[in-house]
Amino acid sequence: MCFSPLTLIAVLLLLVTPLFLPPSSFYLSLGNYIAFGALVALGLYLLTGLSGMTSFGQAAFMGLAGYTSALLCIGLGWNPWLTLPLGVGAAMAGAVVLGGITTRLKGHYLPLSTIAWCIALYILMGSWIELTGGHTGLRGVPPVTLFGWSLNDSKSYFYLSWVFVLLGAWAAWNLTQSRSGRAMRASKGDALAAASFGVNPAVLKLQVFVLSALYAGVAGWLYVHYQKFINPTPFSLEASIKYLIAAVAGGVGSIPGVILGSGLVTGLEEALKGILPQIFGRTGNYEIIAYGLILVLILMFAPKGLWPFLERYLPRPQPQTPKGTGLPSRPIQGGAGEVVLEVENLTKRFGGLLAVNGLSFQLRRGEILALIGPNGAGKSTCFNMITSVYAPSAGSVRFKGQPIQGRTPYEVHRLGIARTFQHPHLFPEMTVLENAALGTYARTRRGLLASMLGLSRREEEAALAEAYRALERVGLAHLAHHKADGLAIGQLRLLEIARALASGPEVLLLDEPAAGLRAGEKRQFAALIRQLVNEGMTVLLVDHDMDLVMGLVDRVVVMHYGEKLAEGTPREVQRNTRVIEAYLGEAA
Amino acid sequence: MKRVVVGLLALGLGLGLAQQAPLKIGVVVSATGPAASLGIPERNTLLLLEEQTNRRGGVAGRPVQFIILDDASDTTQAVRATRRLIQEDQVLAIIGTTTTPASLGMIDPVAEAGVPKISLAANLEIVFPVDEKRRWVFKTPQTEQQMSVPIVRDMQAAGVRTAAYIGFNDAYGEGWARAFEAAAREAGIQVVASERFARTDTSVAGQVLRILARNPDAVLIGGSGTAPVLPQRTLRERGYRGLIYQTHGVANPDFLRVGGELLIGTRLPAGPVLVFDQLPPDFPNRQVATSYVQQYEGRFGIGSYSTFGGHAYDAWAILRPALERALRREQPSNLAAFRRVLRDEIEATRNVVGTHGIFNMSATDHLGLRFNEAAVMVEVVRGSSGRLEWKLIRTFR
Amino acid sequence: MDWTIFSFLAADALQNGTIYALMALSLVLVFAVTRVILVPLGEFLVFAPLTYVWFLPAEVSGLNLKGQIPGTAWLAAAMLLWWAILDRANLQRAFFLLLSALAVVGLAWWGAQGVPLALGWILAVLVVLPIGPASYRLFFEPAKNASVLTYLIIAVGLHFAFAGLGLVFFGPEQFRLPPIWPGQTPIGLVPVNNQAFLVYGFALLAMVGLYLFFTRSIYGKALRACAVNRYGARLSGISPSQAGYVSFGIATLITCISGMLLAPLISPAYFQGFLLGLKGFVAGILGGLISYPLAVVGALLVGAMESWAAFQASAFKDAIVFALLLPILFWRSLRSHEIAEEE
Repeated sequence: MCFSPLTLIAVLLLLVTPLFLPPSSFYLSLGNYIAFGALVALGLYLLTGLSGMTSFGQAAFMGLAGYTSALLCIGLGWNPWLTLPLGVGAAMAGAVVLGGITTRLKGHYLPLSTIAWCIALYILMGSWIELTGGHTGLRGVPPVTLFGWSLNDSKSYFYLSWVFVLLGAWAAWNLTQSRSGRAMRASKGDALAAASFGVNPAVLKLQVFVLSALYAGVAGWLYVHYQKFINPTPFSLEASIKYLIAAVAGGVGSIPGVILGSGLVTGLEEALKGILPQIFGRTGNYEIIAYGLILVLILMFAPKGLWPFLERYLPRPQPQTPKGTGLPSRPIQGGAGEVVLEVENLTKRFGGLLAVNGLSFQLRRGEILALIGPNGAGKSTCFNMITSVYAPSAGSVRFKGQPIQGRTPYEVHRLGIARTFQHPHLFPEMTVLENAALGTYARTRRGLLASMLGLSRREEEAALAEAYRALERVGLAHLAHHKADGLAIGQLRLLEIARALASGPEVLLLDEPAAGLRAGEKRQFAALIRQLVNEGMTVLLVDHDMDLVMGLVDRVVVMHYGEKLAEGTPREVQRNTRVIEAYLGEAA
Repeated sequence: MKRVVVGLLALGLGLGLAQQAPLKIGVVVSATGPAASLGIPERNTLLLLEEQTNRRGGVAGRPVQFIILDDASDTTQAVRATRRLIQEDQVLAIIGTTTTPASLGMIDPVAEAGVPKISLAANLEIVFPVDEKRRWVFKTPQTEQQMSVPIVRDMQAAGVRTAAYIGFNDAYGEGWARAFEAAAREAGIQVVASERFARTDTSVAGQVLRILARNPDAVLIGGSGTAPVLPQRTLRERGYRGLIYQTHGVANPDFLRVGGELLIGTRLPAGPVLVFDQLPPDFPNRQVATSYVQQYEGRFGIGSYSTFGGHAYDAWAILRPALERALRREQPSNLAAFRRVLRDEIEATRNVVGTHGIFNMSATDHLGLRFNEAAVMVEVVRGSSGRLEWKLIRTFR
Repeated sequence: MDWTIFSFLAADALQNGTIYALMALSLVLVFAVTRVILVPLGEFLVFAPLTYVWFLPAEVSGLNLKGQIPGTAWLAAAMLLWWAILDRANLQRAFFLLLSALAVVGLAWWGAQGVPLALGWILAVLVVLPIGPASYRLFFEPAKNASVLTYLIIAVGLHFAFAGLGLVFFGPEQFRLPPIWPGQTPIGLVPVNNQAFLVYGFALLAMVGLYLFFTRSIYGKALRACAVNRYGARLSGISPSQAGYVSFGIATLITCISGMLLAPLISPAYFQGFLLGLKGFVAGILGGLISYPLAVVGALLVGAMESWAAFQASAFKDAIVFALLLPILFWRSLRSHEIAEEE
């Protein structure tokens, strides 16, 4: 694994500077506070930057870890190294409870409940006097020792804290580069699309939330053993919000951004303390006004924080074209012609509206089946029921004999069904390659922890190679490192298909894949589908384009007002008088 | 800060003191946050003292410089400010801070660096027991224990058998709960309820009901600033007719303004400086208290003084002679040694008359106040001018 | 706990719950129309009565302010002025905003010179009122189409700024305000402050008023349409920005008047609004920040819980109240579909 020279220089500078300062210099103690803030902010990077959630309760997690550690050290005389995992575990347990309840809800419930949680925990820490010493706090928290060497002064502690920060940053960076990181960014942008490629957004969100509590917990532990004193004030709602401000100000979407933010806010705090009273002539809580306004103004005018402004002047890393063999392909069981997908008596009601009514058809291995019908015939609804975005009101969907209706999109995807969307559900902020690589999510296994420890490198390379191959097949390889938001509509549709291909599906569901394609692109598209089928894939597609459908598919199911009107080969259907009357006639 | 700069410039031009480097004293106070009503008069007092000391020729002919930092009533910031004062500003000693938790938090950094500190917070734990770390820590305000004694004695005199406590849900209320409950138990007064409320609360009906259900002879409200008005009003509105006591944390004009009429009859213990003009002529610190109040009011307006500024005054009253003595023994340029000598000299403080009492420190007592001179009981009465004021009702000499 | 204590606690719960209900209604109104969770609403609640203190005669307030104009007036004027600059393209509106800014300062000056109590009361509401809609224009509208989350962080930032300004304007201590209707009236065993009846009356008025507004008036219906579909609402003649101003305006008005009526009962200080607002939230969340009736039910529940907790375990009171959020959220989470599309 390699770091850019700039990163190495920055780290080296960080580690060398303290050598020139006296062991308990004020700047070193500031450096320690910056490190604590940076750790919390790294957790917020994962939570907010990667996953689009927010917490106003990180300081409470610090407190949970800090108090656990302090109480065990003071009360039972345990070694801080022993209480580190316990303290952090307590913070994570708190996050599991809070997150378990809220991550299934809409985005704003989590931050709101963290506000309440932070206040409640603060009161608890202050009022449970017998245990926590109340607001007066507890003294005598032992310092951290390392090989018999007590880290008592700011300088040695500086190294301890920053080693944790660097480890944390490294793990966060690894995570960002992994399948999980991709899945987080995906569910942030579009939970439905992420779920359609095997991501369980609720579980992932919970994992990230717990992870952010882990970062905060480590910070809390470091904090307490540095202060050697514990009381509730550093774990208040205000402190939490300060950490959030730090992360947002620096740039919550990047790792150097949040570390920068922590330094900025801590430094600013010191500076403002001297400057503001001089400007205003008397003391008041001016910092608070400044913080509030800074937060508001940054979100209004530079929602990505300050880091992007600096990043512009740094050399960009050259993107590497992935090489390698890709992922092992899914073994195809069963012979051609067997039924893989069977829809029986499928019905969906939206209130009084019957969108799909008693639809039945079968999809056989190795064929291309088209579902056609006029607008509003219920094709997309049917699609969404097959992929379990909607639960059917009645009827069943069976995949290789196994009922799958009413499950979740990610479960259905993991069985080997990949879909595209009528209106592309892609991630404009991510590169084309990353978009396609989301498709490999369900084919790869490495978990959050392994990814953070950098153990998923090989799998990740294979996944990227696989995604790159899929891009080559649809003819987008030359755009692999471009952001997806620059693509034309036809390219977006091809990218949707590439993403589905990268998941190595048995059955490919295409929702109006040719809409918006030019004639040449349509021909390419048709050739691609034929080739895929030759390789053993099975395709169900919905489209309006009669020329394309009739020339490409093996069989057609015609829908009209939610019901099946006809079924057969294109030729048969074209001759069916009811179809001509209801649909083709209309179109003519 | 500006004042400091202007002051120093004037010194440099006129008095010739600036040829010698100023003696730097670090100050941490809570000028903002929940304890601001205590911290602001402390800061004001120290600004006043700095100017006055330098105008009168400094300490042993050397100018002093107070470097004043605000900790926003927060422990972390207090600790951070302490480290900054010790490392960056290389101060000889530290005065501060206003609140108990922050003062406790400052013990470790000052002990590590070997810098004497005089705290302005109430809790006994800040200086007791004097151990390896607390060697470096002194304080001037009366402890909550010392302030509880007058209350309990006054209750006994009034025939109180049962009492209830309702206090802030923070370090202030907690410290008072411990001290008062212990003192009451000793005096045979039964504490029948101990409730908490928050400064931000808009209703304390639940707590008050619990107290009323126990029907105590007296209620002590442990809070500071103006927030303790709420429980008192709720008690009266709900028909409580017993005695109501407050703590010295409410000894400020805002409390009288917000509480109004219903405060009449409220009793509280306070440092003698609160009623400086009513003290008996032979009260030992009457003169010092009077002169302090006159100086303070001369600068910040009539009626602006409070007892908290007095703690800061007393801190300097102790530190100043100790500095003079230490300067005879050691050079401030020899920083570590000078701080050690200064610590010894502070501990050697004898018969220093401050606004709140007479200080006699020793190796085991880093406060050195006796409650007899340091606490009086006052009552809120309607004065001759028709306004509410404090009336001295009892001294304990 | 006997019957007397129960009835006293119930009276306290009702008073607190009513205030939370008013806050919750305002929060729901703003959230439904604009997707903004208006955290600084609590500051608006205390700004109005604190401004009123500046308009009181010295013998009532106990302060010697020497005709000082309250800081809130400068804040409101500055925000209106900034609004005028932003909308300079629309000359007529910019001119109107400019006039309003001047009017606010003028009214505040008039109030500070000493006016009858009733007039001062109205002036205080008028001076604080523009801060609400102007906040929407200055801070939320420019971040149009931002996520609920971004709005929430902006709102928290504003809360900090306003709370800090409140400290600068009004200082750290509390103030005493004269009640409009002094004295107590016994209801059964419980003596209830007459002023509290005004709060209840206003709460009822606000609920009925909001109900009529949303069901009877074209404008209210359009606002409701806006809550459902921001773009569809254009067809009914209201733009999303207008809907924003109106909802912020109504919410601020309800909050200001609630604060004015509540203030004599609580002795307001700058820091007291936040927790009241937050408890309003806990109430609103019961109804998913969408349902008005559920929000009111939630508010009464929070009030009851609070009184009970204050009686049983006062040190942990707010911890218990906020912990109440967990079962509420759990209940909501059981009702939610698993993959909610983000808004």
